[in-house]
Amino acid sequence: MLHMVDAVFLALSVLTIGSAIVALEIRSLIYGSIALMLTLSGIAGFFLLLDAPFVAMFQLSVYVGSIAVLILFTVMLVRRELIFNKIEDKRRRYAGIGLMLALMLGIGMIIIGSGMKSMETNSPSVDYKKIGEDFLTYYSPALIVMALILASSVIGALTLARREDMTNEQRAN
Amino acid sequence: MSTIAPQFRLSRFVASLFDIIFWVILIFSLVGLPIVFIVLFYIKMPVINGQMLTPYLALTWMADPSRTLPIIKTLIHTTFFHVLAFPGFGFAALLAAATIFVERKFLAKIQLRVGPLYCGKVEGILQLMGDGLKLISKEIIIPAKADKPIFWVGPLLFVGTAGAFVSLIPVARGWVVANPAVGLLAVFATIGFFPIISVLTAWAANNKWTFIGGLRALHQMIAFEIPLILSLLSIVIMTGTLNLSQIAESQQHYWWIVFAPISAIVFFICILAELERIPFDLPEAESEIVAGWLTEFSGMMYGLIQLGTYLKLYAFAGLFTVLFLGGWNGPMVWPPFPADIVTQGITIGPITAKIAGLPLFDQDMLNGTLWFVIKTVGVILLILLPRGVFPRIRIDMLLHTGWYKLIGLAFINIFIALGLLYAGILGPGGLIQ
Repeated sequence: MLHMVDAVFLALSVLTIGSAIVALEIRSLIYGSIALMLTLSGIAGFFLLLDAPFVAMFQLSVYVGSIAVLILFTVMLVRRELIFNKIEDKRRRYAGIGLMLALMLGIGMIIIGSGMKSMETNSPSVDYKKIGEDFLTYYSPALIVMALILASSVIGALTLARREDMTNEQRAN
Repeated sequence: MSTIAPQFRLSRFVASLFDIIFWVILIFSLVGLPIVFIVLFYIKMPVINGQMLTPYLALTWMADPSRTLPIIKTLIHTTFFHVLAFPGFGFAALLAAATIFVERKFLAKIQLRVGPLYCGKVEGILQLMGDGLKLISKEIIIPAKADKPIFWVGPLLFVGTAGAFVSLIPVARGWVVANPAVGLLAVFATIGFFPIISVLTAWAANNKWTFIGGLRALHQMIAFEIPLILSLLSIVIMTGTLNLSQIAESQQHYWWIVFAPISAIVFFICILAELERIPFDLPEAESEIVAGWLTEFSGMMYGLIQLGTYLKLYAFAGLFTVLFLGGWNGPMVWPPFPADIVTQGITIGPITAKIAGLPLFDQDMLNGTLWFVIKTVGVILLILLPRGVFPRIRIDMLLHTGWYKLIGLAFINIFIALGLLYAGILGPGGLIQ
């Protein structure tokens, strides 16, 4: 008996994996990045299925809303010859597919062996306040480390973007 | 004197009307009725209350208000009605369409012009309908070297995303299409799609003006999304929830604009930038880059983009109302329904109709909708106002405003909110509940 959740899960899986393959294989870079967006949205759909709307919304706003936009931006502004070298190799492709199948099989065996066989679909959605509490109590060292890494990367980006030669010469104000 | 049909005769017009009515009746009775009876012969009619539902009985029920009203009442509370009509698309599209017309008249009055005047005799009130008919009947031209799939899908995606945004706005207590626990995050996720759609359609049109406009839209929206999110954090800190209905509910006694005025100002400026309105209309700057990322759209594709833009405007104004201006909360001004309408019936002249369940909406909902619409229309007018007053600003000033000033200002109000919370004035167990 195919349940509603199973049907949605199958549809999402087909969407996510299909568009991931398209993102890798298609020639047009723009369509590739659109397919990547679909993949990331499909992952947000999985989070919704797993009763984690908080993570799903962040997946959408961060990955689709920001990172996919950055990729699109790069693809549109950088000249194609610079990032699109033709090193196609049949043997590499088959090796990649084989490696992926081996990895998938391995991970699948581990998951099936661990006893996680069914999904609880009727449980209430994860409370985001609980996530916040956990972050500020038990996982607070991780939060501090993340904050430090982010702050240092922001400072690094600002340092890289700072250009002394571009002072306001042309501007009227 | 009409110039469209100079040979017009009223008598011929009436005669042609009678002609059409005659042929319709003739064809219906000779062809339509037999088909209806043949179809009825094969269809198994449902049995309701021991009576078989024949078309005759169905028509009788439809004519009897006491039997139809419960059906309508159930229909009003279905998701179908919510999505299509009241808090969803129909209501928002009505307000959006009214906004388009009001904008033209309002700007005209600001600048001492007359605005639309002739269409519809009274103050050009049919101008909008005329424009809509023109857009529908106009040819859709696709540039030869455009990327056709993205170019076709772009306007539809734009309207769809705007509709998704509209569905998150609560209009009255319990009247909202989608009410997720993480509503505000859903809003952020939804508005993240707009820059992608703009830049993709701009690229797909294969035109330098659209591409420059699209890149400008992308820069602008990304730059103003961060202060927009930060400015709303103070509201989240003070209410302790992300659900938009609960945020509106929490403002029964005072509006959040009292405690977060800087956030409100930052949010309002970000709204102007996200909507690409003057003074931030660089993506559509008509004197520099034709019409920006909308240059190549024609006919109903342009119409869809316009519809999406104004739906987005309504949704942002509604969001401002819900977050800062108390949403549907307001003094009860809607008169209560007299109880004897239901029990005694309505007497109109010689006829007394006794109708069960007549008030389709309760007083609370009507009052809430009234206040929500009043506040939202006020915010919409405030959003329209700069267009009549301000010039366009330069792109470096725009980015400077977004990345430096507004982010700093948004942080100030976050600290004010935290201070109010820790001083025990707001929040759970605070002085003001």
